[in-house]
Amino acid sequence: MSVVDTITGLTRPSATRAPTATGDPFAPRGLAKVLTHLIAAVCALVTMFPLYAMVVLSLRRPGAIEFPASLVPWDLSGESFARIFATPEVWRWMVNTLVYALVSVVLILLISAMAGYAFAKRRFKGREVMFWSLVSMLMVPYQVTLIPLFILVARSGGVDTYWGLILPGLANVQAVFLMRQFIMGIPDDLIEAARIDGCGDWRIFARIVLPLCKPILATLGIFVFLWHWNDFLWPLLVGQDPAMRTLTTGIASLQAEQIPLSQVFAGSVVAFVPIFLAYLVGQRYITDNAVAVGIKG
Amino acid sequence: MTTIERRARRGRSLSPGWIGLGFVLPCFLLFLMFRFGPAIAGVLLSFANYTVGGNLEWKGLLNYQRLIADPGFLNALRVTLVYTLISVPLTIAAATGLALLTRRAFRGARLYRSIFFLPVVTSLILAGVVFTWIFSSGGPWSTVLSAFGFPVTDWLESGTFALPAVALVGVWTRFGYGVLIILARLQEVPRELEEAAVVDGAGPWRRFRHVVLPQLRPAVFFLVIIETTFSFQAFDTIYVMTSGGPVDATYSLVFDLYQESFVNFDFGYAGAIGVVLFVLTLVIALIQRATLGRES
Repeated sequence: MSVVDTITGLTRPSATRAPTATGDPFAPRGLAKVLTHLIAAVCALVTMFPLYAMVVLSLRRPGAIEFPASLVPWDLSGESFARIFATPEVWRWMVNTLVYALVSVVLILLISAMAGYAFAKRRFKGREVMFWSLVSMLMVPYQVTLIPLFILVARSGGVDTYWGLILPGLANVQAVFLMRQFIMGIPDDLIEAARIDGCGDWRIFARIVLPLCKPILATLGIFVFLWHWNDFLWPLLVGQDPAMRTLTTGIASLQAEQIPLSQVFAGSVVAFVPIFLAYLVGQRYITDNAVAVGIKG
Repeated sequence: MTTIERRARRGRSLSPGWIGLGFVLPCFLLFLMFRFGPAIAGVLLSFANYTVGGNLEWKGLLNYQRLIADPGFLNALRVTLVYTLISVPLTIAAATGLALLTRRAFRGARLYRSIFFLPVVTSLILAGVVFTWIFSSGGPWSTVLSAFGFPVTDWLESGTFALPAVALVGVWTRFGYGVLIILARLQEVPRELEEAAVVDGAGPWRRFRHVVLPQLRPAVFFLVIIETTFSFQAFDTIYVMTSGGPVDATYSLVFDLYQESFVNFDFGYAGAIGVVLFVLTLVIALIQRATLGRES
């Protein structure tokens, strides 16, 4: 299977990797090994089944999903995709989602890296108070802030605008926290040396701190992308005009309308493919760091 | 002019304290405007009423009085708790089982783990769309159940089974994260400990029971907290799968908050629901702190 090869081929060794088969005295052998494989394979198939069904059903002819629907991939047709892509709105949703995710990634990385640098390496009045009041907000569920946030954005004319969609999400406390933790690990000597050479703060930040932050920036970038790409509630509130929907809210609206199921699934596949590719490419990054990044921010 | 002199001049013209502040400012302003401010406003709003026209009317505890007498809210509270009671134990059980299964290095172990994590990065909306089809009558779920002799029904249209159905989708979307957390913990179990147990003559079961399992407690505890908070916020899948129905069977707290605010425009009342959600989350976090404090 090519997908299998792609995943295994791209995985890189990492700190949390389990010991190799030869080095692990407890690795299953004989019957235990067969049983382990059997159970794991069944669980993997069950896990994959909904995604498999989504792809196969998206390739059915529109209107041909009757029950019980066959999930054997024969007599496939790209008609549902053709119809989905022939809808101008769907292209608009794709652009909206891309703008929402990519602009958020760039700005959140920049803003949180700057704040992380100052919180980790600069002394200034109110630093501790600012930082801990920021972190305390991790405790407050997003839904508490949701209504005032919406009223604020709506009254400022932010409904159906990109800035209304993007701006509130830039206040990402988790990102600032992670950046600060990482930058604290950069040796002070390095920064002092640059300062003695006459570098100002901005140059120290741009030339020394940022390049050293590449691993955490990549990790955070992937996660911020995933969060925004999959985000639903905020785009649902802000994008009231059908042209301002994202893929998630667009698909939810397709689901609510009575359009053929194969087309809803085709739209779902369109929304899923970038996530799947990002996962294939950045799989090690994602699984190794999900523990540190925690859940949705 | 030497570099030291230049540094001194720079220091006079722009105090270093201001520079640090400048770096934090964009982040802090965004934070004040879009997080801190709205959080305070959210709590205040729960004691008032806000109309679409923009009038704020002080109500004191009226919203909360209404809340505890509102069968709709009490139902939402019950739905959220049942959802949590179904999905959290199942998520953690599945995660622990699969982490232990794929813990050992064997060919394919990493591939299995990758597959288990895939649902975590999948959007909840896509999960909702696919599972709506899976649970529909004549769909895969009822086919499997009827093979075991259960009657064929659409679970999402059943007052009894709709809530377990959306809770099961919650399990599918979350267990992969649990696998990762448990695996990370397992990798910290010193192998010497297990090898010593083997030398002492412990079989696989006793090794598991007395060496591995006790080490898992902090990870499982962490997962209980995280997954419970996550379950409290169930919304996306419910929105696409059932819209709270049938007859309020899946009408969760966040769904209630959404309905009261953005469908009924009863912002103050919805704000009170938000505060209840906040308090619930806080209680869970306090229990975590208290229990972890006792353990260490």
